[in-house]
Amino acid sequence: MRSMGEHKLSFDDVAVGDEAPVLTHKLTRTDLVKYAGASGDFNPMHHDEPAARAAGQPSVFGHGMFSMGLLGTALTDYVGIGNLTRFSVRFARQTWPDEVLSSKIVVTARREEGGRKLVDLAVTLANAEGEQKVVGEATAELPGAG
Amino acid sequence: MADGAAAQEELLKGVIGKSTGTSKVVIERGPVEHFASAVRSTSPIYHDPAAAAAAGFDAIPTPPTWPFVMEFSGKFAEMQSGDAPSPHPLSTVLGPLLSGGGLLLHGEQEFIYHRPIMVGDVLVGEGSIIDAYQKESKGKTMTFLVSEMNWKDEKTGEQVATVRNNLIVRA
Repeated sequence: MRSMGEHKLSFDDVAVGDEAPVLTHKLTRTDLVKYAGASGDFNPMHHDEPAARAAGQPSVFGHGMFSMGLLGTALTDYVGIGNLTRFSVRFARQTWPDEVLSSKIVVTARREEGGRKLVDLAVTLANAEGEQKVVGEATAELPGAG
Repeated sequence: MADGAAAQEELLKGVIGKSTGTSKVVIERGPVEHFASAVRSTSPIYHDPAAAAAAGFDAIPTPPTWPFVMEFSGKFAEMQSGDAPSPHPLSTVLGPLLSGGGLLLHGEQEFIYHRPIMVGDVLVGEGSIIDAYQKESKGKTMTFLVSEMNWKDEKTGEQVATVRNNLIVRA
């Protein structure tokens, strides 16, 4: 049923323990403005510095879904666009402007189910200090051979 | 358990299974392109129909977290069925908790994709609250609300995506 998907990674070329290339990004306030505009999340905590401080925060902070979006980019850069069957995260910590965020994506399983070739991945986004912002999992369906 | 907590448990149990309404969404090229840039994708596939076609797609596909934001740019008012539940079951729970000074947190988010969502799709979604409960943690009451939205292709009726999220109110 699933016929489409960018062919970037073949099932035959994947092993448990493989790691995706790391996506690294230094978070800026402009990122948060762009994300707010594109997502419709205009919660002032993410773009209005005086409002964030008045609410007791040290500064504006990132949308949790921006972090998940960034991880999504790292995921599709690795497994190809259109191949995810599942993507799930929990939000652990806020992100702050000027933090350098890096993805970590590791293959945890490689399996066949109903004729589909699937890989399971553990995904996290963390800052340079190793503090995890978002932790989760994804599953992708891959073509057989490259 | 104190009476107040018991009443709250009843209120929470009462919203489980309640509909959060239906939604019809059109997926358009411009919003998808801007969203892809906003989540720092550099793939030409989200911007260029020729690149999408070269990668084997019939149309421009959408980024993984797109289902979370697609109502913002694609839920046109005149297309809706107007059956939003009133009051919305989430507000019956969240209203009192938030006005009491509770902090609303997005705990978890999950997407299950049955096929990629593409520019040009018209999707219809049905939402419901699938779980609601509370837990004591470090002296604070945490209220969990799990909602799910099932999206189908309007033309074919096929399942496209299931979106599940977990909201937490920390009293």
